[in-house]
Amino acid sequence: MATAAPSLTAVTDRRGNRPDSILVSMVLLLSGFGLLMIYSATRFGLERAEQIPTGTMERQMIFVTAGLIAVGLFSLIDYREYRNFLPLIYGAIILLLFAVFLFPEVNGARRWIPIPLFNLQPAEFAKPVVIVTMAYVLSQSKNPDVVGWRQITQILVLAGLPAGLILLEPDLGTTLTIPFVMLVMLFAAGASWKQLTTLIGSGVIAVVAAFRFDLLQDHQERRIRVFLDPDLDPQGMGFQLRQSKLAIGSGQLTGKGLFEGTQTNLAYVPESETDFIFTAVGEQLGFVGGVILVAAFLVLIWRLLVIAAHARDRFGSLIAVGVAGMLVFHVFVNIGMTVGIAPVTGLPLPFLSLGGSFYLAMAISIGIANSIWLKRSPVPDRLEP
Amino acid sequence: MRFSLRLTVLFGLFLALFAILSMRLWFVQIAEGAAAVEATENQSWVSVDTPAPRGDIRDRNGLVLATSRFVPAVVVDRHLVNPEDKDVLIQRLSALLAIPADDIAAMYEAAGVNGTFTVAIVDTVEAYQINEKLDLFPGVRIEKVPERVYISGSSMSHVIGQLGLPTAEDIEERSGLSPSVRIGKSGVEARYDEWLQGESGEVSYQVRLGDVITQRPEVPATPGNTVILSLDSGLQAVVEAALIEGIQLSNEWKDGQRATGNDDAAKNETVRGAAIVLDVKTGEVVSMASYPSYDPSLFVGGLDTETYSLLADQQAFLNLAVSGQYPPASTFKAVTYLTFLEENVPLPTDVEGIDPASKVVHCDGQLELSRLNDGSAQIFRDWYTGDKGWLDVSASLQESCNIFFYSVALGIHDAWDGTPRETVLQEMARGLGYGASTGIDLTSDPSGVIPDRELFLAWQEAQMDDPEEAPRLLDESRLDGRDPWFGGDLMNAAIGQGTVSATPLQVAVSYAAMANGGEVWEPYVVREIRDSTGNLVEINTPTLRNEVELDQANVAQLLADLNRVVTRGTAATAFRGFGDSLFDVGGKTGTGQSIASKDNHAWFVGIAPISDPRYSVVVLIDEGGSGGAVAAPVARQIMQYLMGEEMDPIVVGESAQ
Repeated sequence: MATAAPSLTAVTDRRGNRPDSILVSMVLLLSGFGLLMIYSATRFGLERAEQIPTGTMERQMIFVTAGLIAVGLFSLIDYREYRNFLPLIYGAIILLLFAVFLFPEVNGARRWIPIPLFNLQPAEFAKPVVIVTMAYVLSQSKNPDVVGWRQITQILVLAGLPAGLILLEPDLGTTLTIPFVMLVMLFAAGASWKQLTTLIGSGVIAVVAAFRFDLLQDHQERRIRVFLDPDLDPQGMGFQLRQSKLAIGSGQLTGKGLFEGTQTNLAYVPESETDFIFTAVGEQLGFVGGVILVAAFLVLIWRLLVIAAHARDRFGSLIAVGVAGMLVFHVFVNIGMTVGIAPVTGLPLPFLSLGGSFYLAMAISIGIANSIWLKRSPVPDRLEP
Repeated sequence: MRFSLRLTVLFGLFLALFAILSMRLWFVQIAEGAAAVEATENQSWVSVDTPAPRGDIRDRNGLVLATSRFVPAVVVDRHLVNPEDKDVLIQRLSALLAIPADDIAAMYEAAGVNGTFTVAIVDTVEAYQINEKLDLFPGVRIEKVPERVYISGSSMSHVIGQLGLPTAEDIEERSGLSPSVRIGKSGVEARYDEWLQGESGEVSYQVRLGDVITQRPEVPATPGNTVILSLDSGLQAVVEAALIEGIQLSNEWKDGQRATGNDDAAKNETVRGAAIVLDVKTGEVVSMASYPSYDPSLFVGGLDTETYSLLADQQAFLNLAVSGQYPPASTFKAVTYLTFLEENVPLPTDVEGIDPASKVVHCDGQLELSRLNDGSAQIFRDWYTGDKGWLDVSASLQESCNIFFYSVALGIHDAWDGTPRETVLQEMARGLGYGASTGIDLTSDPSGVIPDRELFLAWQEAQMDDPEEAPRLLDESRLDGRDPWFGGDLMNAAIGQGTVSATPLQVAVSYAAMANGGEVWEPYVVREIRDSTGNLVEINTPTLRNEVELDQANVAQLLADLNRVVTRGTAATAFRGFGDSLFDVGGKTGTGQSIASKDNHAWFVGIAPISDPRYSVVVLIDEGGSGGAVAAPVARQIMQYLMGEEMDPIVVGESAQ
């Protein structure tokens, strides 16, 4: 007994584990930077409307504060607990996704549940829930490096239901996040090439069919067409794309300087505080600022994959991989959209774009990843002799 | 593959995606960065067009009929409107100017991104009040904009025309049109729009963060050119007044008909008419009136649909002088008259009441023909009863004897049916300008109809091929595949009835040609165009469209007979007491029958003076009842003015064709 005690202590005692300081500090840096960009993009318009210039930023500060508390809270919750409550959490999010249809349409979509303080956007919270759900299903295989067709079927159903509901809202960007994250997680979980190519192949067929049989909403189809040829709509969405590219391009190497952005400020670029926040970065801080921002995201992704590698179990690993995939998809599609290499799907930029639900959902995902890090096992250098 | 390896592959993949992003950023910001800077720089320059004042329209003596003045207007410049402020701005403008918010929103959208548009013209007081609180109206300014003014009111409105906003097609067809600047929609305003428009000027300023930081010198607008009409305001006033009186006269005449039990001649109220005075030597339109008319000022600020449909129901926008098509009726007999003389048409030899040797016809009210297959008699009745005796072509024109001109048609039919000469009458008519647009510099110039075998065959084919085709040949017997052109058709044509139709302008042009010896001049209403400082830019020289070879002896005979029409013929009553120059004027009455539910159309065509023809005068009273009784008195007054006679009040003339 006495001889066994130290090693047992070593395995179970994780009080010495520290949170992933790089992960958390990257989130803090990005969020602070985001607030600055929101301020730079909204200040002028608010001044002109004779409102407090910091108004929009202050509102986002509330969400950032709440988000950081969420990071702490979810870091403290043992992620393994989710397995016990998964049906409850999953059921709740599905209910919320149904509930959006009870509320009035805003700008042609039903995505929001109006609650005090802000409009809850269940689709954002569905992202981490779907990741945890898929991770759970994929961690149930007997052979750890193999994925069974049965599991694939299960995650197709479990992820397909919320994805379908989100598509109906409609919110194409968020919907598309789910298959991307699914493929990333399946690959990490050890799915065979045959399985992956089958899934991608049927996905392509489904998309072609959606076009052929008009399953897409008109505005979604139009967005894709305008992405392919912005001249189709030089005044509307094409205008937005062109202006966004011009604003970013005019930043050149080092940008026009903070608060010197004429394009993002002058409302040439619509939505420059939400989906098009990157135009504010590109115009004011230039290529250098843009690449540093991309690099910052890469650091975040790197940390998440390191967490995945060190997680104590397959469930944790796959969650971390899923969160990484989700972030990559958002960053690539969002920035890609502003520079014309991805369609305008309405995906925001993590930690930077204005928006409460999105920020909180990202914060929760980071909190969960941090919890996986905290529970990693064992900590080699803490082993007592 | 092991898990850690798969993670490495994933990281590599993610790294690749981010590398693509960075490369794209390099391309957009470094490779194309300079171009983007230039594009955004240009974008920060805002140019606003300043509309040019439309050129004046003047009469032949330089009297201003239409001009432009500058008035204060509320203008919205979308460059300076923050998209978020749009709704509030529209609401405030709506409340201030009492214009529905939806209308303003529609103008806002129509102006396009970064467009400028005029919300409303305001008076000086309003302009001052708005200027005081411009802070509440971002992007709004008070500007002086040109506005059209029609000094002539509803006079000459059909010639001058009106303005309207360009349609989508207009904008597509003509470059440089602004959707908020009105263009000519009819009349001279439309035909000479490009001369009248002028060139808009430009104000350019650079905007930075919503403030104007620099401004380029303003490029001033070039005012439009002045269009000088051939119409004479003094004569026009006489013609318009006479025309309105003529319409009243027609209704009085109809009351008289009803009083004597002749309800058939007075089925409807007379409401429409047209009159033209044409220079026979050039084709210049010296006067042109169409009634009912309208005031083009109504269109300056846009016309409400109620007023518009009210006027449209009255056909007030229709220029009957150019666009109205009527059977020319007895006025057309002059064409048959000349054909008879020029072509030496032999009169029929086998008809009782026609003497081909002496070239006289018994004008006893009816012509009996026994030519039908079953041998039964066919009776053609004239417009009068009683016996006018045996008349030659001259007397027949003076008395407007239908039977003589029927006989001419019969003669053509008997002598030349089936030969190329069967269309001598139609060729004379076409030569004189019938059956084709006149080429006048106004809109809606229809061709009218001069029927012949070829046309009837074409109609027959079209109607038999496609029963849905609007029927031109109403008679079933013409649709059985056999030759649809009958001898009777030519007889009707000879007296300007049947399917013959012509516009008042065509009649004026043809009489001008007959009077001047055969020259068919293209009619025109614009003499010259000058720039805003008065320099001559363009001059409309007369265009000879055709020259009909006529024996000048025949022309002289026709003119003499036209004079006898007013001295002792069908217009003698109307012209009694004309004045000393009665010997020097002439004309022809006409009473056209159209469909059964309509009253007869009243025509008079005059030539003044006869000795050296200068003017051809046409008066048409739509459903006026009688050419001699109604149209001739109107023409008489116009011709009194032209001949320098004292004008008498208009009274009913003789009810003759």
